[in-house]
Amino acid sequence: MHNSIRLLLITAPLIGACAGSFPPPTQRLADAQSAERSAREVGANDAPAAQLPLKLAQDQIGQAQKAMANGENERADSLLIRAKMDGELALAQAREKTARVDHLEAAADSAEQKTTNAIQGAVK
Amino acid sequence: MRTQSYIAILGLLVGGLAACAASLPPQDLLSARNAYQRASNDGSTAKINPSDLDAAHKQLNVAEAAFTENGDTQDTRDQAYLAMRRAEYAEVIARTRTTDQATGATVDAMHADEKQTVAGTAAALARSKTALASQDSALASKDVALAAGKVALKDEKTRREEAEKRAAQAMADLAKFASVKQEARGMVITLSGSVLFASAKSDLLPEAQLKLNDVANALIKEDPLSKIVVEGHTDSQGGVPYNQELSQKRAQAVRDYLVSRGIAGDRVTSQGFGPSRSIADNKSPEGRANNRRVEIVVQPSPTGQ
Repeated sequence: MHNSIRLLLITAPLIGACAGSFPPPTQRLADAQSAERSAREVGANDAPAAQLPLKLAQDQIGQAQKAMANGENERADSLLIRAKMDGELALAQAREKTARVDHLEAAADSAEQKTTNAIQGAVK
Repeated sequence: MRTQSYIAILGLLVGGLAACAASLPPQDLLSARNAYQRASNDGSTAKINPSDLDAAHKQLNVAEAAFTENGDTQDTRDQAYLAMRRAEYAEVIARTRTTDQATGATVDAMHADEKQTVAGTAAALARSKTALASQDSALASKDVALAAGKVALKDEKTRREEAEKRAAQAMADLAKFASVKQEARGMVITLSGSVLFASAKSDLLPEAQLKLNDVANALIKEDPLSKIVVEGHTDSQGGVPYNQELSQKRAQAVRDYLVSRGIAGDRVTSQGFGPSRSIADNKSPEGRANNRRVEIVVQPSPTGQ
């Protein structure tokens, strides 16, 4: 009886300390960095609409890393969630630009093909 | 009492201001609402990318709930920020899909056009092939005709060579009993009168007929357009009228015999010269024998041969 009361008295503060501390958001950091890198790989630097979200992602990753260094893990976690979202948006914007370029090229090719057909039709 | 009242009113005012400040949504939440409004107002996003728009809606609800429960906290702003970005994301993805679809349709149309071009090219190719094939067959038939022509030419050459050989043979046979000379008036075949006729007669001797067969064979080989004159000649013994008549009859006999052996009648004429064209001295028996003769003159046709 005495023993169990003593055990409770010793462990209770430890459990409280565990619940209060926020672990370093290393996975979130990796996810945000991955999203930012993917955006650059599909050309976010060259797509005007993608440049702002890309910069925001990079800034917030930097802020999160500073926060983690200061032990502000929870704040870092929030910043990294935002950074990942910005990275994904930058990627989508870059992808949209590529799609527009592809469409213009396809339209040009199609017009050229139509000219070819018209010439062939005239030759027939 | 009065002072207490003022303090109470001031307290209420401060509390009210605080409540007022707490009820003002942060800029991030306003931006999130606007962004979602814009994304959902454009019906195309809801149609083309409903899942991302729905995610944006849920995130906006999270932000609104955070604001309602906790007011303008950092968490509320973070959630609002995410809601705004999700709405933008939904729009961008929807626009990209629309563009990709349009590109796909353009490419499909182009491929259809390309197929048409290919079909047209194939048709042109087929026409060229047909034209080539007919040219080939024309060439082939020309080749066949050419080969046939060569064969015919060879046959003709062979025939000509054989004919020339036969003519040469006939001439050689002829040369055994007659003299054959080329003169200005044509080829002259001279037959001795004693070979053909008995003295003072104009009937052909039996052996003369055999010899004239050779002559006829040789003449048949000659140019069919050439004219043949059979000339009768005598020596000067006896009267001229007699010899003239005799030479005429003898020439006629030879001419008739040649015609009976297949020489065309309209090619052959006969003429008697009597002793008028002696070729030797009539004083010697030998000379007279030479003068008694029949000459067959083959006159070349005007076209020559």
